[in-house]
Amino acid sequence: MSGLEGIPIHIQTAPHAGANAQAILAELETALQALLDTGKEHSIDLRSLPLLPGELDYLQHTLGTGEVRVEIDALGKSDVRETAYRGVWWVAHYNTLDEVMAEFIEVSFCPDIVRAQRDDVRESLDALSARLAGNEE
Amino acid sequence: MSRRPTVAEQLARQGVSRRAFLKFCAAAASLMALPPSMAPAIAEALGKLRRPSVIWLSFQECTGCTESLTRSHTPTVESLIFDMISLDYHHTLQAAAGTAAEQAREDAMKEAGYLVLVDGSIPTRDGGIYSTIAGVTNLQMLKDALANAAAVVSIGTCAAYGGIPKADPNPTGAKSVQALMDEGLVPRKPVINVPGCPPIPTVITGVLAHYLTFGEIPELDSLGRPTMFYGDSIHDRCYRRPFYDQGMFAKTFDDEGARKGWCLFELGCKGPTTHNACATTKWNNGTSFPIESGHGCIGCSEPDFWDAGSFYTALSAPADPLTLATSATVAGAAIGVGMSFVNRAKKGAAKSGHETATLKDLEK
Ligand code: SF4
Repeated sequence: MSGLEGIPIHIQTAPHAGANAQAILAELETALQALLDTGKEHSIDLRSLPLLPGELDYLQHTLGTGEVRVEIDALGKSDVRETAYRGVWWVAHYNTLDEVMAEFIEVSFCPDIVRAQRDDVRESLDALSARLAGNEE
Repeated sequence: MSRRPTVAEQLARQGVSRRAFLKFCAAAASLMALPPSMAPAIAEALGKLRRPSVIWLSFQECTGCTESLTRSHTPTVESLIFDMISLDYHHTLQAAAGTAAEQAREDAMKEAGYLVLVDGSIPTRDGGIYSTIAGVTNLQMLKDALANAAAVVSIGTCAAYGGIPKADPNPTGAKSVQALMDEGLVPRKPVINVPGCPPIPTVITGVLAHYLTFGEIPELDSLGRPTMFYGDSIHDRCYRRPFYDQGMFAKTFDDEGARKGWCLFELGCKGPTTHNACATTKWNNGTSFPIESGHGCIGCSEPDFWDAGSFYTALSAPADPLTLATSATVAGAAIGVGMSFVNRAKKGAAKSGHETATLKDLEK
């Protein structure tokens, strides 16, 4: 989108640089434990944090890239990527203009957004049944 | 009047899947500064919602607030405003003009319970003649619109506190919506103030989304601002805060400290006395906020910011003692777990820790 990355600005990081990112990693550790123990999923809204310049990149770099990548096309794209830490997912939702609407780190066996939703499945069933009965619209 | 369709019906008609709606709700949760686990509950509430009618009145203003809103990226104006509400009157955005436009406003006002959005202050001197629309003074138009309204959202510092039109010497006798109610000049209704010059676009849509989801006024601070967005000061959440805590200040706009990104307090930063979401929500699709661009906060979301002295004069005293322990980053690291909840500390759901939140938890 913008060419900000192309402008060589050196930002000196604050005395506690990385503290936010470290705190998030600690939170992920706890969340992974909870997922194993109770199956409870967790989600961190990256837009809600006062991250220092560079901390988001640091997080992304630290979490790395895993095996699964899902692209969803629903009211704009969504990019769901498993990180190198399995069960930790980086989820970015874009709008139809390809702008980031929301960005989360999710801890789950499979992010909910990937699964087909119950009501949609019911509608699919109805549509397919109607088709087989020969009275599709 | 025909029955207004629910948001779910509306979306289904447009062929929008539940998955897409869930995505939208995840973004809406983020927008409303709610925990992501709220998305399914939001989906349920919004699904049942009948699109409420909204009348937007622009008075003594610069259209900057509308400009800001129409650049809001998260649920875009198209999806949020035009799908979830029925915007029956907005003199800049609506297609109708002249008599047809004013007719639309009057029709919308017949069915009580609509939401009124106001940007701009209201002139009161000389019978309010300094700003009129179709020959009707702003004061009269507001009075009429409030009669059957459920609530009013004052968008921007002008509507919320009088803003620049009210700045000394205030030649038009400009007043805020709240001030007019306090003086009995317009009907009293619940007011949500969304100040800023302009307000952050996602904060405008976030407040609207909250009202739509919960059907009620969010928790407000003493100046009528939703605490979910205005609960913290800029200084509380500023990434330069560690420099402030260590007494490392830029002294001019191009000295070494400025180049290294030190605290802008001595250059007049009003962050310590200003409540807004700029430091976390940021501007231009989350790109940055003024302090990140090297300029101190000017305090635009506070009453009378224009008359509060020079933007470049330091506040008289540090807002609180220089102590490392108050640094947001340090506190975050110490807490570790729950970092993502720091910003939602005032929410019941956040307090209750990591349980699955429901709509009930968040009401009041
Ligand atoms: S004074 Fe301004 S620049 Fe310095 S830490 Fe506070 S908000 Fe940030």
